[in-house]
Amino acid sequence: MKIGIYFCNCGSNIAEKISSAAVAEAAGSFPEQPYVKNVDFICSEEGKLQFEESLKSDRPDRVVVAACSPRDHEATFRRCLTNAGMNPYLMQIVNIREQIAWVTEDPAVATEKAIAAIRGAVCRVRLQQPLEKKQLEVCPDALVIGAGPAGMKAALSLAEAGRSVVLVERTPFIGGLPVRFEDLFPALECAPCMLEPLMGELLHGEHPGKIELITMAELMEVTGFYGNFIAKIRQKPRHVSLHECIGCGECIEACPATTANEFNSNASQRKAIDFAFTGVLPNAPFLMENVCVRSHGVECRACKDACPVGEDVVNPEEEETVVERTIGSIIIATGAGLYDASRVAGLGMGTLPDVYDALQFERMLSSTGPTGGDILTAAGNTPSSVAIIHCVGSLDEDHKPYCSGICCQYAFKFNHLISAKLPDVLITHYYRELVMPGKEAHTLLRHAAANENSTLKRYAAITDLSVTCADGGTLQVCAGGENAAADMVVLCPAVVPAQGGDTLSALLDVSCDQFGFFRELHGRTDAAQSVIKGIYLAGTCQEPMDIRSAMLEGMAAVGHTLAGLQPGRTIEIEPITAEVDENHCAGCRLCLSVCPYHAITFDTEHNTSHINAILCHGCGTCVAACPAGAITGHHFTNEQIMAEIEGVLQ
Amino acid sequence: MTTVEAFEPKIIGFLCNWCSYAGADKAGGMQASYPPNVKVIRVMCSGRVDPQFVLSAFEKGADGVIILACHPGDCHYKEGNCRALQRHGMLNLMLEQLGIEKERCRLDYVSAGEGEKFSRVIGETVETVRRLGPLVVASV
Repeated sequence: MKIGIYFCNCGSNIAEKISSAAVAEAAGSFPEQPYVKNVDFICSEEGKLQFEESLKSDRPDRVVVAACSPRDHEATFRRCLTNAGMNPYLMQIVNIREQIAWVTEDPAVATEKAIAAIRGAVCRVRLQQPLEKKQLEVCPDALVIGAGPAGMKAALSLAEAGRSVVLVERTPFIGGLPVRFEDLFPALECAPCMLEPLMGELLHGEHPGKIELITMAELMEVTGFYGNFIAKIRQKPRHVSLHECIGCGECIEACPATTANEFNSNASQRKAIDFAFTGVLPNAPFLMENVCVRSHGVECRACKDACPVGEDVVNPEEEETVVERTIGSIIIATGAGLYDASRVAGLGMGTLPDVYDALQFERMLSSTGPTGGDILTAAGNTPSSVAIIHCVGSLDEDHKPYCSGICCQYAFKFNHLISAKLPDVLITHYYRELVMPGKEAHTLLRHAAANENSTLKRYAAITDLSVTCADGGTLQVCAGGENAAADMVVLCPAVVPAQGGDTLSALLDVSCDQFGFFRELHGRTDAAQSVIKGIYLAGTCQEPMDIRSAMLEGMAAVGHTLAGLQPGRTIEIEPITAEVDENHCAGCRLCLSVCPYHAITFDTEHNTSHINAILCHGCGTCVAACPAGAITGHHFTNEQIMAEIEGVLQ
Repeated sequence: MTTVEAFEPKIIGFLCNWCSYAGADKAGGMQASYPPNVKVIRVMCSGRVDPQFVLSAFEKGADGVIILACHPGDCHYKEGNCRALQRHGMLNLMLEQLGIEKERCRLDYVSAGEGEKFSRVIGETVETVRRLGPLVVASV
């Protein structure tokens, strides 16, 4: 085997500490007696040319480059090998600059250390094998789970880029939580005005056929991997055709069954067939099977008969369906909810009338909500005082230790909206910390501070607060021993992941953090990627955030999708991955438990592990863990590393 | 002839590519000199360090081994450094049984920015192993 050592002088950087002549002399005693060539600056244009020409004329089987850190120029020198017609993985770099020349005082000692390191590289490179990047055909289309701000933005942006998108939404409508609000912080912009153009674009816009919206649906199963996922989606029956219904509401009039409307915090009634709330999109009602009189065995087709549009638009007999779609990537945008404030003792949530959480209060403020936007107590009176309690279950080791970051802003939005509707009402904010980040939020705080009917009171711990009600009298908020009457109490609980996250996490193998939010690949540099390749995260499913951030996250996830998967282009699979020798695998499954990327599956039929090279990141943890030595870490094999150890120690 | 006073230990250093190897490069950039005794073996992740590499290093003549990983929570591969820590605990027990002082095998954390720490950790390790003297393993 012919081995060539290319020694870069790096001007005087290396040459003044390490003697290339001594290296050349020592190389005579190395295995295979490699030849040694000196290059002045091997990374310079001239140096690379010289290197490539030498590779072509000397035709070595393996190459050692003694130069700078492989973190600087491994890719550069691999390209030189490729240009010279060699497999790029037949090279080993020895870092004699950063890790020897620059850190060793005595040139004789530095030369000796360099010789040992180069000997190690020669021993290692002998065992290196040519590796090839594999090409894989991929599907460029995407599945977006959740049609809130992040999911809608993602779906629309993908459609604009010409991608087909399957948009799966659990509820009967799109828009997520904000579509249920009247006004949004920080600028008190009308929420429907802001979201409706987006929703309209999504439903009837410029890209028809690109976005397939499936409402009242959930993911059942996902198989495959990055570039080629197959998703099974369970669609619950809406009993109303989304494509044909014009939203006239005739069926609603005719329906004989009523129930409490969960989308109005159960504070108003709805028919069995009805809209979630007024103005909701898509503009089509849905039938609640468990409320419909047919569920009690009563023969009724009042809704179907009332429909003026067509015979098959309303179908009380519609059944659940399962649809299967092939996609290349998945964006999780399942959103968030509020911490159950009844778990914070003493605040009256769920036990006292007129204690509301923020979402219930948003609905009360909304013109499409149960009171048509009027602020009314349960008895139907206008309150003269409202208490707003911040940080409920936040910044609290007994509940959620984090700050949700958005509550102060909507709490002061409430302040503004309450005083606009009821100028004489007294508003007291009880807060633990005030968090108003960014360039816009402070105006809401300033407005509240300037409101002579508003008071801000700080508390040390939520246990210092209690909300009581003496025998049907008004509510009393007791803070640090001081009592104040309040006709209404609004709680601002911690933002928590939406329900069902754990099921989705198990289904997709995407891990969650200690709070149940989806875990990012890296919290700073790869915050829109999950730990599973090709599955991206957008919006509040990964942490509490406002609409602006959620939309940006949606775009970030789209960026990954567009960059990673392009129509007509294959993806390259890096060859530095691990591979199981099935003949030696003992079937212990230890590797499955150590792989951080869930790249390893177990074949129960053959009782062996299998590593998916697309999902493998090449860390080698499984290689070290395998008790049978059945896993090869390509380019970092046991034999190569052992040979290097032996080589440097000789 | 090697005497204890002049003893220059041979040490193998397993450095993960993303943090500690970059930390060593940083030490280079800072020209933060350190003793030459540590021969570096680059691995992608400290989780790749198979305990048999360590045992093999001792068998092939190393007097000490140092495994340098990303700081806990910073691993490029999420949790490879946790595996390295677990395996290091196991190695300590094995080394004791083999009559090798566990101080000869150190695990530490060096980030890509910690050039000075890298230099210091290498210095300390060389001193520790120098004090322990050449590794003598009773032949079995």
